[in-house]
Amino acid sequence: MMFILLQTNPLEGWFIGSGKAYVVVGVACVILIGMAWWLLRAENRLSRMEKLLNSKKNAPSD
Amino acid sequence: MKNTLWKALGILLLAYVFAITFLVPLGPGLLEFQNVDRVISSSTENRSVPEYQLIGYGTHWDEEPDALQVFVKSKSQLAALEVIRVDDATHATIGLTLPYSLPAKSWNVLINHPVDGTLLLENGLFLSDRFIDAQATWPAPSFVEHPGNLGFHFPYQPRIIETIRNLMLHVPLWFTMFLLMGIGFVSSIKLLSNPRNELDDQRAEASVQVGLWFGVLGLLTGSLWARFTWGAWWVDDPQLNGALVTVLVYSGYMVLRQAVEDERLRSRLSAVYNLFAFVILVILLMVLPRFSESLHPGKGGNPGFNTYDLNSALRAVFYPAIVGWMLLGIWMYLVTLRMKRVNRQIELLP
Repeated sequence: MMFILLQTNPLEGWFIGSGKAYVVVGVACVILIGMAWWLLRAENRLSRMEKLLNSKKNAPSD
Repeated sequence: MKNTLWKALGILLLAYVFAITFLVPLGPGLLEFQNVDRVISSSTENRSVPEYQLIGYGTHWDEEPDALQVFVKSKSQLAALEVIRVDDATHATIGLTLPYSLPAKSWNVLINHPVDGTLLLENGLFLSDRFIDAQATWPAPSFVEHPGNLGFHFPYQPRIIETIRNLMLHVPLWFTMFLLMGIGFVSSIKLLSNPRNELDDQRAEASVQVGLWFGVLGLLTGSLWARFTWGAWWVDDPQLNGALVTVLVYSGYMVLRQAVEDERLRSRLSAVYNLFAFVILVILLMVLPRFSESLHPGKGGNPGFNTYDLNSALRAVFYPAIVGWMLLGIWMYLVTLRMKRVNRQIELLP
């Protein structure tokens, strides 16, 4: 497809064939997925840490 | 409940922003008006005229092809060109029916179409082989700007074209960084006025840590945008250099925190550093670029996405995008802060 567009007109081929819109979509998805993954991981880690903290606090002292 | 509501609002806003950003089509525009090195018989003039190809982007010339009108304009002089045929929605063959004597070499190309409205290609036609006579004039054809008949769409901007969608990503990332660095600045002031409050130190550290991520992402998305619109990953520009220096200054804050072992000294030193860092941020990103020429929109000699570019379609997505990204930033900041507090509590356990 890109080859045909580039054959038609180099400038037009660059604008349409380069898929600039798809670059933006790709970058946006990477950023959002990255942040969502980080948030989920952090929330999980946090709840584990809070459980650990509570268990340590509630543990009978020697 | 409240704690969940604002997070849900953030997610909903970002979902709305991303759906609209990538589903709304771009408005039509003109890409090129090129000489194809051929002559063509004009039906209106009894002679052969040079053939040009007009190339549009997102245009609809195949709908009502007979209604397409093409003009060239230089200052107040307007001339109509002959539309030989409409090849498809975005291509038309035009006959350059212009006299040999012209008042200028460089001309804007204008089209009128019932669906696409009036479109302009600045300096789309350059004629070097004509006799230039500043006094050359001819009767102006009738020309009425057409509003077009298109649905909700983002505006077409030359060179930026589809990458205008990056506006919903790049700019809100920087705004979120400003917000987080502002939280860090206020926390540092509070810490210096009450050095025993450990929570303010944790707040400052967490906000800078998350804000730095947003700054780095702002740099990366900006660099990528520059590559597609300016043709280079990085240009020597006050706004771009200022953004890089700001991120480096805040990286220095994180390094400083690691370098000092004594907790009290660390919190006070880093609070003072943070105050200066925020002042540098304001100067480098908001003040200095306005006093110098810049390629970056919104800076000296180059209007930003304001009255010229930020039309109602963009605003309908841009403002929710700012709020959505800020809520996400706040969420990340609060999670980081909670982690620091829990870590600290675990450390303090006997």
